[in-house]
Amino acid sequence: MSRCDFKIVLLGSEHVGKTSLVLRFVNCRFSDATPYQNTIGAAFCAKTLCANGKNFNIGIWDTAGSERYEAMTRMYYRGAHAAIICYEPSSLESWKRLRHWLQELRIVEEDCKVYLCGTKKDLLDSEALEREVDEDVVATYSQGLFGHFLTSSKTGENVDELFQKIVEDCAADVQMMKNVEENRVQLQMESEKEKEKYCYC
Amino acid sequence: MEDVLDEIVSSEDLQKFEKVYHEQLHQGNVTHKAQFEYAWCLVRSKYATDIRKGILLLKDLFNSHAEGKRDYLFYLAIGNARIKEYNKALHYVKSFLEIEPANQQVLALEHQINKRMEKEGLIGIAVASGAVLAIGGLVGLGIALAKSTNK
Repeated sequence: MSRCDFKIVLLGSEHVGKTSLVLRFVNCRFSDATPYQNTIGAAFCAKTLCANGKNFNIGIWDTAGSERYEAMTRMYYRGAHAAIICYEPSSLESWKRLRHWLQELRIVEEDCKVYLCGTKKDLLDSEALEREVDEDVVATYSQGLFGHFLTSSKTGENVDELFQKIVEDCAADVQMMKNVEENRVQLQMESEKEKEKYCYC
Repeated sequence: MEDVLDEIVSSEDLQKFEKVYHEQLHQGNVTHKAQFEYAWCLVRSKYATDIRKGILLLKDLFNSHAEGKRDYLFYLAIGNARIKEYNKALHYVKSFLEIEPANQQVLALEHQINKRMEKEGLIGIAVASGAVLAIGGLVGLGIALAKSTNK
């Protein structure tokens, strides 16, 4: 039983910046000084966001991009309400893998809301990196999906907007909200049962 | 809040990777990958016996496959924390941090382990003091009874 209302998974090739995106969103910071460390398996973070006048507890599974873990990161897609597939606009390679990630996700979670996220916007803006993925191609591809965001984990640009959009879309989904309510009631009942167990009076 | 220490593997996933591992074992040629994937599932099981088995497989990998050492250390820490072997878990965390002192995942895990130790330590004290109160009550009752029979 999950204590989170919504589950979001992050997918994408290694080194595109999935962990930096999550850390910027959750901790509001970005560290230039920390050397690159590839994620082991999957990391979990949580944060509360407000949408439609209600607070939602969202759990984020940041999966490892390295192929070494691929067989297992798939397990984390299960039950995801939304997925963010990351790519680097300056790496055609990471864009080409996008289709693969989307397929992998669809096998496990057909109805999951999918968002595309182009990372490292600040490096494109400052022309430190050159765009390799055509903007029109991205626009066409993202049409059938729930949205596309170009983010910078360094400056924070569009990061909150991306997560806010996801929570708003989830909050507007009637079926999903029904499940969230049921889950909350179930949790409440369980925690009451748990309390009874420890009451010796 | 749920976290990496609460997460539980589904039985289908466990069986799937168990099958691959056993097939390879039967053929006498277990790859590091199959052993690691099976061990990863085992340490995320809800049963302590599975977790202990996973720990053994990870220890074996740690000694035989230098390339994946950071993975093995990480899951050794998780496995031990899940069976409440907190000191062992912290030992693996420490070994990991010696190599990568700023690793976010491992620092977060260390924090979780410390939090659990603290929480369970407090619960331990609460149970102990409850027992003291109960015994005190019984002794009191005994004295009262003894007094009343003496009258």
